[in-house]
Amino acid sequence: MSLADNPIFLTQKRLIHRAGVLAAVLIAALVGLSLLSGLIAYLAAPQDFDFRSSREAGKLFYGWVIGVEVLVLIIGGFAKISRVLADDRKAGLWESNRLTPLKPEEIVTGYWLGAALREFYMGLVLAGIGLVMVLLAKLPVTLWLGTQALIIGAALFFGLLALLAGMAVQRPQSGLILLLPLIFLQMFSFVFPRYTIINFLLPIYGIGNLFSAGQHPDSDWSTWPQLFGMPVPPIALSLGIQLVIGIFFWRAAVRKTANPFQPLLLRWEAIAIFSLLVAIQQALVWSIWHGEFGNRLDAQAPRTEAIGAPMLAIVHGGTILIGVLILAFASPMPERVRVEALRTGRGNLQLAFSRSAVWLAFALSGVAAVVSASQFTFSFKAHGTAWALAAANLLIFFLMFSLLLEFCRLRFQRRAVGFVALWLFVLCLLPFVLAGVFSNEGFAKLSFLAPGVIALAGTEIDDLNYLTASTVAQLAVVVLLFLAWQRQWKLLFAPSTTVLPAK
Amino acid sequence: MPSPALTIEQLRVDFPGVVAVNDLSLTVETGDVCGLIGPNGAGKTTTMRAVSGLQECTHGVVRVDGHELTREPEELKRRLGFMPDFCPVYDQLTATEFLDHFARAYNVPDRTKRIEHCLELTWLTEKRAALCEELSRGMKQRLVLAKTLLSDPQVLLLDEPASGLDPLGRIELRKLMLQLREIGKTVLISSHILTELSGFCNKAAIMERGRLVMAGTIAELGQKLGRRQLSVKWRNADDLALQILKRERVKNLEANAQGASFEFEGNPDALDGLLKTLVVEGVRVTEWRDNTDDLEQIFLQSGARELM
Repeated sequence: MSLADNPIFLTQKRLIHRAGVLAAVLIAALVGLSLLSGLIAYLAAPQDFDFRSSREAGKLFYGWVIGVEVLVLIIGGFAKISRVLADDRKAGLWESNRLTPLKPEEIVTGYWLGAALREFYMGLVLAGIGLVMVLLAKLPVTLWLGTQALIIGAALFFGLLALLAGMAVQRPQSGLILLLPLIFLQMFSFVFPRYTIINFLLPIYGIGNLFSAGQHPDSDWSTWPQLFGMPVPPIALSLGIQLVIGIFFWRAAVRKTANPFQPLLLRWEAIAIFSLLVAIQQALVWSIWHGEFGNRLDAQAPRTEAIGAPMLAIVHGGTILIGVLILAFASPMPERVRVEALRTGRGNLQLAFSRSAVWLAFALSGVAAVVSASQFTFSFKAHGTAWALAAANLLIFFLMFSLLLEFCRLRFQRRAVGFVALWLFVLCLLPFVLAGVFSNEGFAKLSFLAPGVIALAGTEIDDLNYLTASTVAQLAVVVLLFLAWQRQWKLLFAPSTTVLPAK
Repeated sequence: MPSPALTIEQLRVDFPGVVAVNDLSLTVETGDVCGLIGPNGAGKTTTMRAVSGLQECTHGVVRVDGHELTREPEELKRRLGFMPDFCPVYDQLTATEFLDHFARAYNVPDRTKRIEHCLELTWLTEKRAALCEELSRGMKQRLVLAKTLLSDPQVLLLDEPASGLDPLGRIELRKLMLQLREIGKTVLISSHILTELSGFCNKAAIMERGRLVMAGTIAELGQKLGRRQLSVKWRNADDLALQILKRERVKNLEANAQGASFEFEGNPDALDGLLKTLVVEGVRVTEWRDNTDDLEQIFLQSGARELM
């Protein structure tokens, strides 16, 4: 079925046109034309402006157009698609569409490409004005082509993520919450633009690199990123990552449409996405130490003195964040496991464990440990303890999170999110608060986040011993959580909960 | 022998802390209009959603025309039309556009004609250009019914279709159901308002607390209950008639000057005998009515009313 015959797409188009597109298109045109008029004014009277050349002026004005386009297509498109889907789910229209003979792929395509058509029209207008700017400023057309390819790639990628958000969240506006971790990670990424994967998931480095063409080679943005020391074109890296992860998102969206009772991510998909993200991130920072973490910094790499020390600690924090998101998505709802137990007649801990995210925590921390070992290839003897502490910290954190999440879901049901947040605060952030209040950094080292981050920040041997003790204490907490988790599953499988209410 | 239009075998649906549908087995033959009756919370909607594939079952088998839900979901989508108990409509589309959306989705041939026909069937022709948000709840209900009829499905699952309809709408719905029955459609229709279903259901299934209390044709259900509900009217013979009725095996006798209502436990021959006795002994019977086919009576006698 072509897009022109896809009823979901046609209906979305109808709804958008009925709500009106002219005002939105005019706003985009006004913004774009204002910037274009600025460029024309410079070209007419260059002496009135501070630009050194028409190229510099063109880049500045086109840069603003790109910024607005990113805002409209990526952020606006994400918000719109997730909201439309969440609204349709709430209204029962999603189910009505699922009951038709439409293929799941057709339903997903209809929402993906149809729900944000207004944003697409706005982007189209801005892109057209941008092309005029590029031509007037005599900038290479490849700048326009490259930036537009990156923006469209990212818009399609985040559109797929928005579909998953719309399928997962209960309230239409909640989808935007998924973007918060990205914004959080983005804060660090501008400091080390070439070394953080977030700049490639979003098209930031690719665009920055295109704009920096011809600038000083030591600039943060002018060189190509390296994967394990191998230079890779930033546009190819961005589009490649988006394509591969986008395929997983597409599969998840289609599967969820075909059968909404299935989990969003299959286990192997969760592991594959995590492995890909962690491996690329470690590959990006490999060129700082060339496998000799703790021993030397690459003097050739720009600003390595400044970024060398905290970089691996930041990567460790990012790995924890990504792992936690994946574990949260992969963790089963207890009721589904109970129904499966009733169906199969084997309601026991073996089933709970096989469906739980606990074993996924082992897999994710194993993958992260193996990949991060690449930074220690030639310095393992001297700095292996730091790696071991970081690896143990990942395992303990992932186990703690998955056990805590499932325990709270089993024990507190609808109130689980609040209790998970409370315990995460107590176990991870409260030690930092206490360290600040009592001016004693010993408290901070008790945090579940601390051992890996501190060990990888280049710390002294005495500290490592303290961190080892802290890790052992955290392991004890995980064991206690495991016992509580086990007890709750046993209670769930107890026969009394499956008995029909008395007549 | 052709497969029944709809077969449900040992269906079970679990919700947290409650078994919403428990071991439900039901067969609806082609051309039957079967009323799924039960108080609120009996599991009617869950059953409908499980049959249509919208609700995951713990176990059980659902077949439509011999095609199993879990193995051939695509076949089921073509043969089954489900109308939920609320009105999922695109507020900013007109009634025609809304139907066009689903006609395209079902790949309905000669779309325009079919849409007009369904609008006519549901008395919405005059509202064809109105936005869905402008329609009353009853009209939206009818529009969703029109959408369900668009693909001409063999089996219709209608969940509380009369809720929100005005009295005229309910009469028209009854006519439509009779029309569907005439053209051989199989309908499973749920309601907790029994009078809605009287008059067009030839079968009924009574649910309570997730279980099927009883199912069968209306006559079969009456017989299963063993007692027949009767009423008789007479002229100027109250004492004599009452003496005869008391002599026979009648129960719960309620009488007045014009007549009486009572329960009779005998077989049909004994019932014929009772009427004959009344007439022969001189009672001027002006009306003799067997109320056993009344769904409300069946429902009340079945015991499935604890939640009402």
